[in-house]
Amino acid sequence: MAAYSYRPGPGAGPAGGAALPDQSFLWNVFQRVDKDRSGVISDNELQQALSNGTWTPFNPVTVRSIISMFDRENKAGVNFSEFTGVWKYITDWQNVFRTYDRDNSGMIDKNELKQALSGFGYRLSDQFHDILIRKFDRQGRGQIAFDDFIQGCIVLQRLTDIFRRYDTDQDGWIQVSYEQYLSMVFSIV
Amino acid sequence: SVYSGAYAGAAVDPLWAFFSATAGQNGEVDAEELQRCLTQSGISGTYSPFSLETCRIMISMLDRQNTGKMGYNEFKELWTALSAWKHNFMLVDQDRSGTVEFHVLTQVIVAMGYRLSPQTLIAIVKRYSKNGRISFDDYVACCVKLRALTDFFRRRDSMQQGIVNLLYDDFLQCTMAI
Repeated sequence: MAAYSYRPGPGAGPAGGAALPDQSFLWNVFQRVDKDRSGVISDNELQQALSNGTWTPFNPVTVRSIISMFDRENKAGVNFSEFTGVWKYITDWQNVFRTYDRDNSGMIDKNELKQALSGFGYRLSDQFHDILIRKFDRQGRGQIAFDDFIQGCIVLQRLTDIFRRYDTDQDGWIQVSYEQYLSMVFSIV
Repeated sequence: SVYSGAYAGAAVDPLWAFFSATAGQNGEVDAEELQRCLTQSGISGTYSPFSLETCRIMISMLDRQNTGKMGYNEFKELWTALSAWKHNFMLVDQDRSGTVEFHVLTQVIVAMGYRLSPQTLIAIVKRYSKNGRISFDDYVACCVKLRALTDFFRRRDSMQQGIVNLLYDDFLQCTMAI
């Protein structure tokens, strides 16, 4: 029995999530976001189209993470076909955020974060949530806005994935050399 | 004389002037204040000032009490490290463009005393390079992370075997804290 288990967050797996709206709707959205009509939505264009609820620009690191997730041609942007994946991914995260922002404050506080991560299947110490918020909260209010929440969850997922790859007997422990540890971590944080 | 103590303090510890001007009453700086402090100190020389994210990880590197802020002793330690890193960077940035080729950086890391395989070195340096080059700010960020991760590993490697056992939550906490 694994000492830890998790169900990947939205977009990471095929389970559930928002149904795709019809193509003409998505095409309209795509055209509005693709301001320079290049046929590819760049990091900047996507950033401008997204809101984190704080009247400050959407976290560019989150934007980069999302674009690179769906950009299959290494072009630093997404075409219309790839954009449908981006749309679904963001919509799923919006639904998750709304679900766990129980007091509707527009931010997720530590308790709401604990429930969200536990809802994804993670089993994490109380202290970990303080560290996640401290690391990803760019608003400096001890709570986490939508864009920072996404980035925190992405990093958590990547670290978990790489830990699991080394945890062959699934007992929640890994044994690593110094170089292995550096290689593991430098690609993610 | 009534002034000698104050002047003696400033002469012995010029860094204190920079630090205390920003640190305020509790004698600590957060990332934004550290950025201001370092920019005013001119330690970057002709290079661009450090980004906020680099300042954030500088604090994490030395934040042994997990407060998210940096006190004066930590600041002095940071200053020593920054001076050495800048010196190493300037040795290879001969045209003073503020960027170096990423393979040159692998040599710098080896010169700092890290014994790592070429693959690991490339993985580390690739993370920070843009179009095959690395800026001074990204180079410092790389040095900070390398040092912070190495310090963490050493603290866990009590038998000094170069191998550690890490529990999932511990791995997450310490890796994410940097």
